[in-house]
Amino acid sequence: MDLLLHLCVVIAIYSIFAMSLNLEVGYTGLFNFGHVAFLGIGAYTSAILSLAGFPFGMCLTAALVAAGLTGLLLSIPALRLQGDYFGIATLGFGEILRLVFQNEVWLTKGPMGLPGIPKPEMLGVRFESLPEYLGLAVIAVLLTYLILGSVTESPFGRALRAVRDDETAAEVLGKNAFAFKTRSFVIGSIFAGLAGVLWAHYTTFISPSDFTLNETIVVLLIVVLGGKGTRPGPVVGAIALIFLQESMRFLRLPPEWTRYLGPLQQMVFGALLVALMVFRPEGLIREKGRK
Amino acid sequence: MDIFLQSVVNGILAGCIYALFAMGLTLIYGVLNFVNFAHGELIMWGAYFLYLFISEPFSLPLSVAVAPAILCTVCLGMVMDFAIFRPLRKADRLTLLIAAMGLSFLLRNAAQFFWGAEVRTYGLEISRGFQFLGVSLTAQQILIIGVTVACVILVYLLFFRTSLGKSMRAVSDNLDLARVVGINARRSIRAAWIVSAALAGTGGILLALDTNLNPEMGVINLVKAFAATLIGGVGNLWGALLGGLIIGLAENLSVLVISPGYKDAVAFAIMVGILLTRPYLVTGKRTD
Repeated sequence: MDLLLHLCVVIAIYSIFAMSLNLEVGYTGLFNFGHVAFLGIGAYTSAILSLAGFPFGMCLTAALVAAGLTGLLLSIPALRLQGDYFGIATLGFGEILRLVFQNEVWLTKGPMGLPGIPKPEMLGVRFESLPEYLGLAVIAVLLTYLILGSVTESPFGRALRAVRDDETAAEVLGKNAFAFKTRSFVIGSIFAGLAGVLWAHYTTFISPSDFTLNETIVVLLIVVLGGKGTRPGPVVGAIALIFLQESMRFLRLPPEWTRYLGPLQQMVFGALLVALMVFRPEGLIREKGRK
Repeated sequence: MDIFLQSVVNGILAGCIYALFAMGLTLIYGVLNFVNFAHGELIMWGAYFLYLFISEPFSLPLSVAVAPAILCTVCLGMVMDFAIFRPLRKADRLTLLIAAMGLSFLLRNAAQFFWGAEVRTYGLEISRGFQFLGVSLTAQQILIIGVTVACVILVYLLFFRTSLGKSMRAVSDNLDLARVVGINARRSIRAAWIVSAALAGTGGILLALDTNLNPEMGVINLVKAFAATLIGGVGNLWGALLGGLIIGLAENLSVLVISPGYKDAVAFAIMVGILLTRPYLVTGKRTD
């Protein structure tokens, strides 16, 4: 039962992370391959502040602000790039940020990681046990779903899709593509930061190895598996992928094989990503109005 | 002063290797108009193929094993194109990029599956370098420079002295126009993959000779190769060569001022610098 609750929390956190990426990749057409950086910034900011004794509400706010600001700063050089180049720039940023987590030992304790991150406490409620934490995570998912949903259904969301489908046409109609892309990127970064905060306070231990390219691939896979550019897509994708991941754990393998399990699982993810792109690029749920 | 000179030499050495990566990357970009995210994995697999052939059950001597290793890398590059990129030739960019990303992840973890995540070397004995003007240079490092020069000359001869090279340049300039005048585009694309993979494999082997092998070496070198192509102007072969040297030098000279832990971040910083100051370079078209 505990395992099931644990899986639900993991699914909730990945759903938030995937919804934030979906705003960028699915709705705006930004090829962000370094989204894990913002997960890391959210997690580290909140962890460091709460270990220093600040209340959770403050840590959360600071983490979201830090993620959003970093997104804004990165977008200034990176959004001058189109498509593939933006992809490489963000990919590079994700890698560099991991170097920062590893090297700034005075702040992050480097590869040793940060243990003992306290469970959150807000408005007099402590989210200590699994069901309580699940409650918090579900509230966060619902909030993210509603906020990002209303963002994408609004005229702003329509403008994002216009920029995605034909940037020149959008500009001719008087939409400043750069400004729209920046805003989408900043909003996406903030919600990735939220996922990071929830992750840090849930596992109570973070280290640079939690924020590698693997996370980027997993979240990308969730978005394209569920159906990019759709509202329920990321949530559906998160449920499907986490269950797939966990079911591989139940394979009865001889113990000397366990070394191979991690890479094998990630090979399956990579292959799944390729196969999806070749055979069903739209994912499980197809975006309305697209062929 | 000696440290400075040594850093310059090390920078040129690293730069030679990055130049090989960048030339391969920019070549595929020129012909197919997309950034091959799996290029880093060709680099990594080139190095691991050599490792495969020098260890059991092949146990070939290093110098002999280079040939099958590069051949295997070239095959890997062609299989990549045939199985994934060719079916997606007409797909939209996001689909293509995500597929390349997934492929890169698949290949990296495949290497980890077979050889584990730990750092490996070819098991060469550490040799004392020759001393020259206060700078030390090992035999492998002289080999790196020699091989790079040879590769550059070969690429030059291929591109500017053969009709295949001419048709590759034509395809790179304008695919449709090249087709109209009867150039076999498919053949040019195949040739581009062969050259690109061979350069990646060679560079990967040289890098592993000079440093070590690990499954992570692909990604970080992809970023460096990409920064080098940006410096040179995307799609510009000689620009990539120059860009690689600049990245190598900058990286090794930076160690004199900043913490070595950030050496890998220098390429990224240069990339951001270029984007902020010279964004027109990115289009690969010069105004003159």
